[in-house]
Amino acid sequence: MKMLSADQIREVVKARSEKRAVSDKKVMDIREEMWNLHDKGEIIVIPIEKKNKPVTVRTLFGWEKKVPTDHLWHHKSCGQCGNIPGYPASLLWFMNQFGTEYLNEPHQTSCTAWNYHGTGTSNPVALAAVAVRNWHRAYETGTFPLIHCGTSYGDYKEMRKLIVENKEVRDKVRDIMHHMGKELTIPEEIVHYSEWVHVMRDRMAAMSKYDLSNVTATVHEPCHYYKMVPEDAIYDESVHGGQRPAPPTALMISLGAKVADYSTWYDCCGFGFRHILTEREFTRSFATLRKIKPMVEEAHSDVAITTDTGCVTTLDKSQWIGKVHGMEFMVPVLADVQIAALAAGAHPYKIVQLHWHASPTEKLMEKMGIDYTAYKNDFMKYLEQIKNGGEIEYLYTPHREMEKYFAVNKGQVLPEGMKSRTG
Amino acid sequence: MSILKNLPQRKDEQYPSMIIAGAREHGEQPHELANKIFSEMRGDFRYKEFVLGCLNCGECTTGCPAARFYDFSPREMLQVAMSDDPDVLLDAMQEKIWACCQCYTCNMRCRFGNDIAGIISVMRELAVRNGLESAKEVLKPASRSLLKVMTHGTQVSPDMIQPDFFIDWDPKAVSKTGDLIALRKAIPIDVLQVTDSSWEVSMQTALELAQIYEESGVLDMLRSLDPDLVEMIVDIISDWKDEFEEMKEKFGI
Ligand code: SF4
Ligand code: SF4
Repeated sequence: MKMLSADQIREVVKARSEKRAVSDKKVMDIREEMWNLHDKGEIIVIPIEKKNKPVTVRTLFGWEKKVPTDHLWHHKSCGQCGNIPGYPASLLWFMNQFGTEYLNEPHQTSCTAWNYHGTGTSNPVALAAVAVRNWHRAYETGTFPLIHCGTSYGDYKEMRKLIVENKEVRDKVRDIMHHMGKELTIPEEIVHYSEWVHVMRDRMAAMSKYDLSNVTATVHEPCHYYKMVPEDAIYDESVHGGQRPAPPTALMISLGAKVADYSTWYDCCGFGFRHILTEREFTRSFATLRKIKPMVEEAHSDVAITTDTGCVTTLDKSQWIGKVHGMEFMVPVLADVQIAALAAGAHPYKIVQLHWHASPTEKLMEKMGIDYTAYKNDFMKYLEQIKNGGEIEYLYTPHREMEKYFAVNKGQVLPEGMKSRTG
Repeated sequence: MSILKNLPQRKDEQYPSMIIAGAREHGEQPHELANKIFSEMRGDFRYKEFVLGCLNCGECTTGCPAARFYDFSPREMLQVAMSDDPDVLLDAMQEKIWACCQCYTCNMRCRFGNDIAGIISVMRELAVRNGLESAKEVLKPASRSLLKVMTHGTQVSPDMIQPDFFIDWDPKAVSKTGDLIALRKAIPIDVLQVTDSSWEVSMQTALELAQIYEESGVLDMLRSLDPDLVEMIVDIISDWKDEFEEMKEKFGI
């Protein structure tokens, strides 16, 4: 391996340290310039309207952020839908309880940022265009995008900034959108589902049927929620003294659980994007040694709670293999919305879909007072019923056959030959 | 010794710091390739936004998960990004860039406001675009998910969670093969009741994604990495375009 020589390093340090004088980077609120571009007709901002019933929260620097709570467009997560389906199901279940209007459509791609962060096989224009294509679908259906995945959330905040700050990228993305009959749209706020959960937490807690006062939870804060574009994450002085993001700790407190601290709270989960798929020796070592072990040994955690796809997957699936190194402990790993749904009496298997989780959840349910055996038997019967061609239960009316092909919108099948309003 | 398991053995005779096959394939000498990549990185609009200077304080490295398990440090990566020696850059692009987890902890800690995770991503893009052999080797096992994301728009699918691929995961989480179809149907969300994609992506949406990949140059970029994969993607998309036209007729659109 070619290394820099000591002399080379000294030269580099000497030369580069002088750059201190020119580093005057300030964190700007990108939303101001975004509205300027909207006024100039360069972009269309998807506004948060009265019908979205927004709740205002504060972010890292005390800036205000509006979190819409109604008329939402679910921007699904590939990892959640692929291997933790109880994650989106619990969220939709809550929305049904609250009478929230939403769309959960097949006319969405992922943000493709998992792939980008893992392999580098994309570029800024493609990532931005993918984001705008999805945002536009919310725009044309009169809904507001709610981003399920932490990485999509981080990526979309980066893409918003990129489109606003870089005219060349903006023009290229607008051209691509026009070729498909779409506009260059950007949502007024980029909103993560955990922020929706955060502002709805008291209503969720009010539904509680099961008690969490005997439960000790540890929280893993997803990196792409608060380390990527940090200025846009929710902070609240009453939660960890405002030193850590407020979701999902505030929810756990509302639900009555004890939230215990552990020394490596700041570490990532070990997902790694590329590593989880093709180099899991890193992922599992990091997850077990740096996260699960301290959660169990330092905090005596009954459950680990997080708010992102990759973190649930990594922390949950990496534990079993720890046994070869004598790590006999396992801790269940759930998303915030899953434990809230369990507490509110959602079916642990039909809705929360706990059978997809690798780490055992039975002890946790026992502590909460849930008779999981009865639910399990019920689910096994339901599974047999499905296998025999019986009726399937849905959270909303399924899409029509033609929607497997076409992004139908209010009777209109392809985007109208819209006259461009931008550029 | 290679720090990552998927990397080829180095051929050290002439250019001790480089895996030279990528350069040979382009008919270029390694230092020419290094110069080319160096000027591409310096010419990228992100360079001056991401690389702002460095105190060599190492704050970034103290929080870096990859630094705990690999011969890797974000401080070093930032120094490499600032180095005026193209060979130093090309050298780091062989292995080190692939160790990073993209967790952004370094960015959060750096008082200079460097986007270290971002400049590592730029280097990865350059490794792919320039068809470095090391990038091909490292990304070989990712081809299945690359195909998935480029065609279906989702990174993984339930039918990928198989014991042969996820041998270290709890068998409880991967041995659902027999029941997979029924278990997916037992999810109360219609678009999730598929096994070959995380959710059912409508054909119009998949075709629009393909258009984005084409117009933004991603398919060309991928060609340098894996031309066969691009062929496969193009074939699938072309079949879907035909089917889409048929469906338009069927549904009277
Ligand atoms: S983004 Fe990469 S370099 Fe930075 S801390 Fe995370 S793993 Fe380390
Ligand atoms: S934290 Fe920033 S200034 Fe310090 S070594 Fe890392 S990149 Fe350089």
